[in-house]
Amino acid sequence: MRKPLLLSLAGSAILAGFSVAALPFSRGLFRVPRTPYDANEASFLAPAWILLQRAAEIVPRDVSVVVRGEPPDATNDSYLHRFAVGLLPGRKIVPAAVWNVPSPPEELREADYEIVVGKAIPPPASRLVLSIPEGSVWKRER
Amino acid sequence: MRAGYLWLASFAILPLVGAPFLGHPAFRRFGILFRTVLAGGVGMVLLSATMTVWALAGWRWGPVLVLASAAVAFALRWLVRSHLPLPAAREEGRGEGRSLTAIALVLTAISILAALAATIAARSTSPDLLLFWGPKAQQFASARTIDTAFLSAPHLEYLHVYYPPLVTNVFAFGAIAAGRFPWGAATLTFPLLLGATAIGLSGILRADAPAPRAAAASALVICALGLAGISSSVAGNAEPFLLFFEILGVALLLTPAARSDAGKLLAGLFLAGAAAAKVEGLPFVLAVVVLFLLLDRSAARPLARATFLLLAPTIVSIGTWLAFGATRNVFFGYKGYGHSLEFHWDHLSGIASAIGIALWKVGYALPFSVPIVVLLATRPKGRRALLPIGVAAALSAFLLLTYLQSTQDPRLWISWSAARTFSPVTALIALASYCVSETESERVDR
Repeated sequence: MRKPLLLSLAGSAILAGFSVAALPFSRGLFRVPRTPYDANEASFLAPAWILLQRAAEIVPRDVSVVVRGEPPDATNDSYLHRFAVGLLPGRKIVPAAVWNVPSPPEELREADYEIVVGKAIPPPASRLVLSIPEGSVWKRER
Repeated sequence: MRAGYLWLASFAILPLVGAPFLGHPAFRRFGILFRTVLAGGVGMVLLSATMTVWALAGWRWGPVLVLASAAVAFALRWLVRSHLPLPAAREEGRGEGRSLTAIALVLTAISILAALAATIAARSTSPDLLLFWGPKAQQFASARTIDTAFLSAPHLEYLHVYYPPLVTNVFAFGAIAAGRFPWGAATLTFPLLLGATAIGLSGILRADAPAPRAAAASALVICALGLAGISSSVAGNAEPFLLFFEILGVALLLTPAARSDAGKLLAGLFLAGAAAAKVEGLPFVLAVVVLFLLLDRSAARPLARATFLLLAPTIVSIGTWLAFGATRNVFFGYKGYGHSLEFHWDHLSGIASAIGIALWKVGYALPFSVPIVVLLATRPKGRRALLPIGVAAALSAFLLLTYLQSTQDPRLWISWSAARTFSPVTALIALASYCVSETESERVDR
């Protein structure tokens, strides 16, 4: 009975050791992350997370919003639409792309706000309401 | 920050909901901490099921839900005939036994703390939290029901509207209490549920084995799940919920608790939690119940009653969810990934290599290989070891066939899902290594 017990403990010790080794020590374990994705494989989400969280503070509820990346990429824009659904509750999110297919430009122009992840080329007839290193938020002038 | 604390504090209501059931004299022998964890699991299942019933009836969620689900927990006591307590725990060993128990507890604690540190450091957050679990929970909390308009909205098909409701319901319940959905706090469900699984598992196994053996088996399961969870980014995803219900449900059926009505109903409630947490929870439940009835015939007598106690909670829970989807024209049953019974065998070698790569990326496949090595070296005896091994085999076959159903090349899908979907398999194999000797009842049966 002792052998199985010791084997279980030895196996547990190996697994616990690797769990500790998997921690992101190089980033500073006790540094508060800016987003929940800072130190994992999905860290590419972090800029969009930061921008959309900031946008949520200034974009009113019940308006329509399009979120897109710069430079344009339909796959990236498909995901940005999904992130915006989560991080901008109460707004009508107009997809810049769906399932990696770009939406028609006229649909995007109807949105009240345009959020651009990355360095934006100023959209036509729009006023800048937020600019941070991760991107910018523009309000359409009607 | 305040919303996060409130959201986490709302979890304290769950053991209160389940307490009327765990207050039954049959469970009196368990310690208060262990009973609290089990009551939390039962509370989660009943609260989620009640929320789904409320949504089906068209009622908005409110505080009365807590009273209604606690009333169900109280009513379940009537299904338990015997008032005899479950068998008492074995005597704890002395000297060396205590040292081994202490080592196992330290290793378990290290794994849970590593999971906590990884979660706080944003190492293990699941993208699925942002893609669908969080948005659905947030919207349901805002609408105070399962929002069919949101689920039916154009361009939101990626939300997996048919996914069973337990995780989104529990997340939404906390969000109602907190006033908003706190994304960071949601990730803490990974270390929280890993800790709850550790407490529950060691408590259940203590009813059947001396403390060192129970603690060592729990440590192996928790350390494997900890490393797998950290490396495959499960924080905020449904896996911690699924594993909590699956592991404790199967563990109950490996111990003398399975011989009583109380133990069977408790296991049935945990199996319902697994089925309501993720789609693959349902085939898991069916495999567990069929194998238990076949392998432990003395505990399964009378057959009809045992089947009822084990399966009725799942049937009610999932039946309500499917009825909701059908009556609202939102979904009709679970969606497959291809035509049923049509398998693309030409994908088999690609699938096998993709699974191998996906598992390797998770701590060099150690969470999967170490429990297998321990199992082979300990050579478990008795029919009851066949329960976790058989369920692990059935679940592996189900996952493989699901990948084979995909009409498109499934390698990308496997790369982000296989390490998570196969984590119950490794936990079951670790649990099987616990069955190193036959139980007294097995010897009597022979």
